[in-house]
Amino acid sequence: MSAAPVVEQLSRETGISTATALFDRIPPHPVNPVLSPLFRRGGLPRGELVTVTGELSVSCALATLAAATREQKWCAGIGLGEPAVSSIADLGVDLDHFVNLATPGEDWLRVASILIESFDIILVDPGFSPSASERARLLAKVRERRMSVIGLRPMPGSTEQIEITDTRWSGTERGRGRLQSCLVRARSQTGIHRFLLPGPTGTPVAVPAGTSEAPAAVSEAASEPTSAAGSEDPRWTTITHLRQVIDHVG
Amino acid sequence: MSGEAQRTLVLTVPDWPAVAAAAEHEIGPGRPVAVLHGGKVIAANAPARASGVAVGNNKRAVGFRCPEARVVVWDEDVDNRHFSAGVGALEDLVARFTLLSPGTLAIPLDSLRHGYPDESSAVEALVSALVDETGWEFFPGIADTVFAAVLASGQARRVEPGRTVDFLAEQPITTLEYAGAGATALIEVFLQLGLRRLGDLARLEAKDVNSRFGAFGRHVHELASGVEGRPLADQVRGEPLDAELDLDAPTTRSDTLGFLARQLGAELLTKVRRQGMVCTQITIELDAAAGQSSSRTWRIEDMQENAIADRLRWQAEGWLAGASTGAGTGPTTGSGPRRGGTDPQALDFGDEPAPDAEDFSADGIIALRLIAAELTTPIGATKSLFEENTGQITHTLERLQGLFGPDAVLVPGIQGGWDPAETNLWTPWQQAAVPERSPGAPWPGALHAPRPTIVEHSAVDVLAADGSPVQARPSGLEAAPTTIRFPTGETAAITDYSGSWPIESGWWDPERTVYRTRLQVVTDAGRALLLSKERGQWYLTGRYR
Repeated sequence: MSAAPVVEQLSRETGISTATALFDRIPPHPVNPVLSPLFRRGGLPRGELVTVTGELSVSCALATLAAATREQKWCAGIGLGEPAVSSIADLGVDLDHFVNLATPGEDWLRVASILIESFDIILVDPGFSPSASERARLLAKVRERRMSVIGLRPMPGSTEQIEITDTRWSGTERGRGRLQSCLVRARSQTGIHRFLLPGPTGTPVAVPAGTSEAPAAVSEAASEPTSAAGSEDPRWTTITHLRQVIDHVG
Repeated sequence: MSGEAQRTLVLTVPDWPAVAAAAEHEIGPGRPVAVLHGGKVIAANAPARASGVAVGNNKRAVGFRCPEARVVVWDEDVDNRHFSAGVGALEDLVARFTLLSPGTLAIPLDSLRHGYPDESSAVEALVSALVDETGWEFFPGIADTVFAAVLASGQARRVEPGRTVDFLAEQPITTLEYAGAGATALIEVFLQLGLRRLGDLARLEAKDVNSRFGAFGRHVHELASGVEGRPLADQVRGEPLDAELDLDAPTTRSDTLGFLARQLGAELLTKVRRQGMVCTQITIELDAAAGQSSSRTWRIEDMQENAIADRLRWQAEGWLAGASTGAGTGPTTGSGPRRGGTDPQALDFGDEPAPDAEDFSADGIIALRLIAAELTTPIGATKSLFEENTGQITHTLERLQGLFGPDAVLVPGIQGGWDPAETNLWTPWQQAAVPERSPGAPWPGALHAPRPTIVEHSAVDVLAADGSPVQARPSGLEAAPTTIRFPTGETAAITDYSGSWPIESGWWDPERTVYRTRLQVVTDAGRALLLSKERGQWYLTGRYR
């Protein structure tokens, strides 16, 4: 049995001809393969605001944008304080394309609005929450310029939220070792994921097979894109619908 | 090399920053002066050097060797202003000269050929006129290229025509310092490659140097081989590239002049760019309301309107200040803006003399003119194709620097050190990074990855279970840390901690002794922190965020 009539029917109903047309926007920035399952489309979306919150959010955000900076995309950090250059380099960020803004926290919106003109990625720890109209203007500009904003605090208007819910450092051994790596549990729209950030060399690493702490339950949660997390997004319901149809056909 | 070698006379004032500082602070000629920049001596005058002060000393070393020395902080403005004002005497003697940097100026010898029978008499006449005027010591140097002439002036020697290549060949490779920003790193590499003299570098194939070290490598190779990037011949220029501005009212205010110069500079550079060329030297002409004029040619490495505005400001300040003191009208009539009669302060100067014909400083400047003095093709100046939108990035970041100050926009770099706070090298955008510690040197005990992402520096208390502070010994901690108290008063329970490891360095030099113990702890919130203990106090030095 062919799927062609179903596809045709779908395209008539929703006005979508192919699956890629669902995302007829610009492709996302590539990210480290360990982190790509966190994102709906496997990469850092452009023209949108993404938030990364919880412990190790700075590391996670820097690791996310590292691959893009290596492709000559410029990235600026606002409100980060004094980041340690050695760890930025460890996370894989190209130092030639990273700029840190030591501007007052209350000016972050003004600084961001200037950076939007030419930068590809902005990493911001906002000093204050903008008003609704300011936020709308910022997001409109971000969409128009097709650049990515990563916020380190929960912000309304974000399309993807990554929250690091649990961190387990290993290696210290009560006074005998030193920090080796951290097992991170992160929740995003695509489910719950576990990985090492930072890994033994500083970069994110996939959890080696056979790690303790009920890996079966977690991997199940990770592989199942929770319908609850993204249910409010119309595109997501369309995909779920499409998947049900294909399952039915198969 | 196309055409004749351009024989050049370079005049250098040795220890210029010290000379300028002495003039600025009105320090007598016999007194020792040392100029400090970034905590290190960058110049010292002869009396200071005689008592043992050397370039690179710190302030304490100067005080130890020469307690009577006056230590002055370096100021670029002072350097430029005094030099620009002092070399005014040359204007009557030569047709064209260029200020290479404060303390150094170049005169093409072609321009002297008609006035003087030979090179040595020309040099003698010029130097004696300058010394009479300024009282500074000048070292002359003559060679076939500007770079070689600068080196020759350091030794006060004249290189015979055609012998420049031989002269350059025996100079040590470190003289490439004069080639401009970025040379320092290259010199280190050359030394490691066993290139000790410029001749060793010049013997390499230009092609190989270019492919290994890029455009800047080719540039220094040309300098070392006595080849000079030719300025384009005059006939190539269809029209004179200049920009003029007549002011509505004369002004003496340097901020106004700077503002106007920035606009004018932008206009000129746009014109130059439209011709498909770049400008490497610029002549600035100022006209005073009373008819006097001042003209200077400046070489600017990174030609842009802000750099032009700075030069114009320095030239105007030096010129106006020189005019007012030269006319002997005293300090009350200085170069500041003339106040109206309503100012009660003005009554105190009841017998203020009217400015005579010589003193035009009070009226100020009525017209500005910028001329592109040297043009080259933009091959060396264009950005690579592989860099995406660098021009826009530069524009954006400069705008931010204009709003929040140059130190608000920082680019990362890494230098040597043990802890993240030491290896951090954040440099303001478009400034040359100056590492204090070599990253290549061994740093035993340096922190391994994973490293903290955010650098902190705040005193904290690390407490054991009984509430007493945890002491560190070279053998380890005396007690298990259980609680950390932050300066805000908050506390966090420590669930796990690493072994403590000490760093001991510089025990051979009391000024550089470092002894500290480091510890990584994990709090009950799953947060990892890097702590270090120095002189009995624990510090939070990094956060894994």
